Amino acid sequence: MTITRRTMLTTGAAAMAAYTAGLPGVRAQSSQVVVGTWGGDYGQLLGDLIDKPIMKTKGGIEVLQDIANADPRKTKLLAEKQSRRGTMDVACLSDSDMYLTAQQDLFEPVTADKVSRMNAVFPNLQKAYAIPHIYSAQVVLYNPNKVNPAPKGFADLWDPKWRGRVGFSDILYSANTVAAALAGGGSLSNYGPSQKKLMELRSLDAKIYPSNEALAAALKSEEVWITVMWLARGFMWKKAGIPLEHVVPSEGAPAIVFEASIPKNSRNKDNAFKYLNAMLEPQAQIAFADKMGYVPTVKDAALPPDLAKQINLNEAERARLLQPDYDYAVKNNAAILDFWNKQFKA
Amino acid sequence: MAVLIVPASLLVLGLLVAPMLLMLRISLNQFSPTQMMIEAMSADNYIRAVTDPYYQQVLGTTLGIALLCTLLTLILGFPAAYWLARIESRWKSLITILTLFPLLVGNVVRSAGWMALLGNDGLINATLLWLGIISAPLKLMYTPQAVVIGIIAVVLPYMILTLASVIESIPRSVEEAAANLGARPGTVFRRVVLPLALPGVAAGSILVFVLCMNTYATAILLGGPQFKMMAPAVYDQFIRANNWPFGATLAFILLAITMIFTIVGSIGIARRYKR
Repeated sequence: MTITRRTMLTTGAAAMAAYTAGLPGVRAQSSQVVVGTWGGDYGQLLGDLIDKPIMKTKGGIEVLQDIANADPRKTKLLAEKQSRRGTMDVACLSDSDMYLTAQQDLFEPVTADKVSRMNAVFPNLQKAYAIPHIYSAQVVLYNPNKVNPAPKGFADLWDPKWRGRVGFSDILYSANTVAAALAGGGSLSNYGPSQKKLMELRSLDAKIYPSNEALAAALKSEEVWITVMWLARGFMWKKAGIPLEHVVPSEGAPAIVFEASIPKNSRNKDNAFKYLNAMLEPQAQIAFADKMGYVPTVKDAALPPDLAKQINLNEAERARLLQPDYDYAVKNNAAILDFWNKQFKA
Repeated sequence: MAVLIVPASLLVLGLLVAPMLLMLRISLNQFSPTQMMIEAMSADNYIRAVTDPYYQQVLGTTLGIALLCTLLTLILGFPAAYWLARIESRWKSLITILTLFPLLVGNVVRSAGWMALLGNDGLINATLLWLGIISAPLKLMYTPQAVVIGIIAVVLPYMILTLASVIESIPRSVEEAAANLGARPGTVFRRVVLPLALPGVAAGSILVFVLCMNTYATAILLGGPQFKMMAPAVYDQFIRANNWPFGATLAFILLAITMIFTIVGSIGIARRYKR
């Protein structure tokens, strides 16, 4: 058969039409749920504790992980705002990122009739637009062999004794700015003092590492001795053999909650609600605590006493837990990034 | 025949021109931390970008690094390209493939290799410490020098292959004629080979310069958090600050500067070639 220009064009056009028409249908009807999550341990644990045992085996729902860091995921959610069909069914983000995206009215309301496990969630962690998956507190991590006596709070990072031995992770610029604000007498609703404090720390040769992993390597090689970090990550690093202890800062410990929501343009909402419910199951919560050091967000996930001692805050420490001022944080994010890049890192 | 360019044109229109126009529109909007973007028609972002000393410095660093890397790549690449073009061996095609070999590894993976070499406990420092030449590790990573080395390793094959294809088209008899008339090898290169190879120098330099201007992974991984070039700055605004209007503005400024330098460079070389 000879292919004429006419047949070529018509078959081409027909194939193209069939292809584009077929695209959206491929996933919409299937029993799937697409979860936008971090890779690494978090994604792996979701796979091992929720995707396979609960969703696939019990629910017959296949979970696809859309792995990326928080920033690209946030950008994707915002970019897809106008689309009728989104590419994510569940989006995992930290509480402040979730607040920022929720301001754009991107998420389905999360209520106990849709997610029955919401009834077991600690009341202070409940939100209208997300479930709280796990949480931790921002603490001071230090090398006990080098930093002696133990620091009491964020302000101890400014002790000239530790010149050149304070390290920060670049990606946690906002958390680091918060620590500087608290050390300077500010609060989660007033970052004002952070600028002066950060510049002081700069003249004390604070080191900045491009990622949390690079900071961990520097702590391990004892290049730096002291940093601010989530208690949970400190727990993991300690388990990995890095010489570290933590102290819940006297100025207060900002809480961080990792949350999950359902975009309004999700194509598998029913499955997505089932997924949120599974994330709150006690056994999954306990396993996350054991592996990653994050504290459960539900009342009925009792931790073994030994583990609880390592990752939970005691009564006095719990009183120092600080709740973020999301509105203030969101409005100031661009400004603190500017200061971080232009002044502190310059 | 004109129909042949339709698919490619549609692809370029749809995948390049349309998003660029959209970005141009976004760059005129205003940023709001809570609403992300407010519709506007304002040049404020452009004014901020050109007047802010920080972004002037970032642009300066980017241009400086790109020009330096282009020059070094040209100096390093020309002899290799000449040799490759003139070699008469059955291994020639294998050598050409070997030149391409570095391109088989992605930028990130290659930078990871450089990190293993240049890090504080990397191969170079470990060896020097072991030999007792130094007592404390040298700071090799997170320096502009590391970025220059990293970029050159990425772009050198582009320069060599572009130059080699042009040098190959210069008949060897021309060089021999010049030598016959008493020209020393240096004069043959300066008066015969280089002028005839100028189109290749132009093409290779433009290609390399554009790649250097848009360096992202190498700048981040080897330059570290304190080293800023334009592409990482654009990423920062889009992804970390969620300031799309300003990110789009920086992207357009990067595009404009790259285009201006490319056009001025090509015109300059074309004039010289005509002489």
